[in-house]
Amino acid sequence: MSERMLTMAEAIREAMCIAFDERPEVFLLGEDVGIYGGAFGVSADMYHRYGAERVLDTPIAELGIVGAAVGAALSGMRPIVEIQFSDFTAQAMDQIANQAAKIHFMLGGALHVPMVLRTPQGSGTGAAAQHSQNLEPWFASVPGLKVVVPSNPADAKGLLLSSIDDPNPVIFLEHKLLYKIPGREPVPEGSTRIPLGVSKVVREGKDLTIVATGIMVNKAWEVCEKLSAEGISITLIDPRTISPLDMQPVFESVDKTGRLLVVQEGPAHAGFINEVIAQMAGSASFGSLIAPIKRLAGMNIPIPYAPQLEKAAVPQIEDIEIAAREIVKNWR
Amino acid sequence: MSFKYPVVMPKMSMTMETGELIIFHVKVGDHVKSGDVLFEVMTDKIDMEVDAPADGVIDSLLAEPGAVIEIGKPVLIMLTDTEVMAFDFGNEEVEAVQVEQIEQVEVKIAPPTAAVILNESVKAVPKARSEAAKRGVDLRTIAATGPDKTITMHDLNNAQVDPAMAARQKANRALIAKGIEMSRGIAQASFSRTVNSDFETATLIRAWASVLRSRPDLAIHTHVGVALIIESKYGSALPVFKDPDHLAHEDLKALVASTSEAAKNGKVPLAMLTGATTTIFDVSRYSMNSSTPLLFPNQVTSLTIGYGTESEKNISLTIDLNFCDFYDGALLLDALVASITKH
Repeated sequence: MSERMLTMAEAIREAMCIAFDERPEVFLLGEDVGIYGGAFGVSADMYHRYGAERVLDTPIAELGIVGAAVGAALSGMRPIVEIQFSDFTAQAMDQIANQAAKIHFMLGGALHVPMVLRTPQGSGTGAAAQHSQNLEPWFASVPGLKVVVPSNPADAKGLLLSSIDDPNPVIFLEHKLLYKIPGREPVPEGSTRIPLGVSKVVREGKDLTIVATGIMVNKAWEVCEKLSAEGISITLIDPRTISPLDMQPVFESVDKTGRLLVVQEGPAHAGFINEVIAQMAGSASFGSLIAPIKRLAGMNIPIPYAPQLEKAAVPQIEDIEIAAREIVKNWR
Repeated sequence: MSFKYPVVMPKMSMTMETGELIIFHVKVGDHVKSGDVLFEVMTDKIDMEVDAPADGVIDSLLAEPGAVIEIGKPVLIMLTDTEVMAFDFGNEEVEAVQVEQIEQVEVKIAPPTAAVILNESVKAVPKARSEAAKRGVDLRTIAATGPDKTITMHDLNNAQVDPAMAARQKANRALIAKGIEMSRGIAQASFSRTVNSDFETATLIRAWASVLRSRPDLAIHTHVGVALIIESKYGSALPVFKDPDHLAHEDLKALVASTSEAAKNGKVPLAMLTGATTTIFDVSRYSMNSSTPLLFPNQVTSLTIGYGTESEKNISLTIDLNFCDFYDGALLLDALVASITKH
């Protein structure tokens, strides 16, 4: 089998096509996902391969799009919704949080909502405050939603196929800056799956544990590489699904390293990564800490339009590098 | 003829009220020599052996191991021919019996436990805290080099701490702190005078004892016992010099010297552990001018000696205002200064 290096957009498309081929009830709907090929080119030629009945271009009406998908899911279909920018999910939030997330529970398990909502998120594209948010905690705080944040093409493929299999709603948050970047690892051929709710130990080291989500996994990887040349070895953990959250590898790693740095793109205040800190603080592994837990997160401001300010508003590689080095050097 | 002599639960610290009998080393009918170990007792985490005060035969054991016994109550009865020690047990006033114990005793310490070591007053990383508890290390004995003066694992691992020593220091500190705490609520006042520094510690002890003896109205005891705080390897030790003004100056000087030396090594003769009616704390040896005045329970006065100049020291007197007023206090210090200046 050849080792294929795909971009995340290619890997996601491949997963959707596999699902389309395996299950006739799977279809894609969203703004410009058809003829245009998706705002970020993720669906590309799928319209031409599967036709207008399975790749549906919709009006600009997010609440209607998600409402249609929830209805279709309740009546036996497996819709994949694409919302052009995750910021626009605000328009659809009643269908997401009040309908999709709660129907299975409120009807005593009699009905399922097997819907996947894919949406690009994050800053770095110069698209300003209403097109650049990281909204992970919005979804992670709603019981009934599973939330996936892939950091690389291989994970994106396996996790998306598992999400489509899942009998209830999954929010699939894709970082825009990762779409065009090939992963470090080859993407396996065929219909392969990665289970939801299993954190990935990306690399293992003995001096520091970094937990990062989405694009921050990639930034942290660069730091791991750089600091290993200085003799600092780092364990990097990617939760991959932030809801449900698998903390076990984090506990096990901190038991060995004694130091924890957590990194997320979204604002620090009430951010998802705070959940990692809270669970660590209340765990038996708390006693293994030899340093205060360090958090790197976005500033508590709307993402600025000016490129320099946009960059300064969220953690960058240099920020992670400085924080990682300081923890290890200052806390022995 | 043999006399019945009760060997009692000794008072080993100023806050001790009871002791637990751990084990007998003798049984009824045993012949013992003066100094043989009769039984072991435990209090405040300190274990101590109690020796036979004289040659004799064990007549009866009055308690079971594990029993908690008040100080001064008999633990066993021995028969002895040593008349000077003899005591008829028919008398109920057993508390009046004072065992003349001049053996130097090495105090043994129970193994430290995690619960004893936990404390909140220092900053330490969680791992250092749990490790310190596991190792029986008092974190207050560790120098912090981490950010915000936090104890790191590096600090803990590099600290050369003997856990038994740390536990002993902690027990010792707790005893003194408890004593001070008990007397904290007492209305007290302090006075200071600067004096010429050419006096010896023995001179001061003697002079202070004489001054106090001349003021029976201040006494709640019939004797004068001057405790001298000495820094030992286990923390502060407080040997008590009983009626030092009755000793010849040279004898007292020798006793102060030998006791100080022994106390530094953590050994204080059992008989010198109790009976303090006043306390002297000399901080001048650390070049300190003064320190917080101390007043121990059941003591009406204390003295602190501070460093003044090369030729001067500060003497400060703390008094319990229930026993004397400000004017009395001033007179008392005045009399002491006059007495040591005269020498």
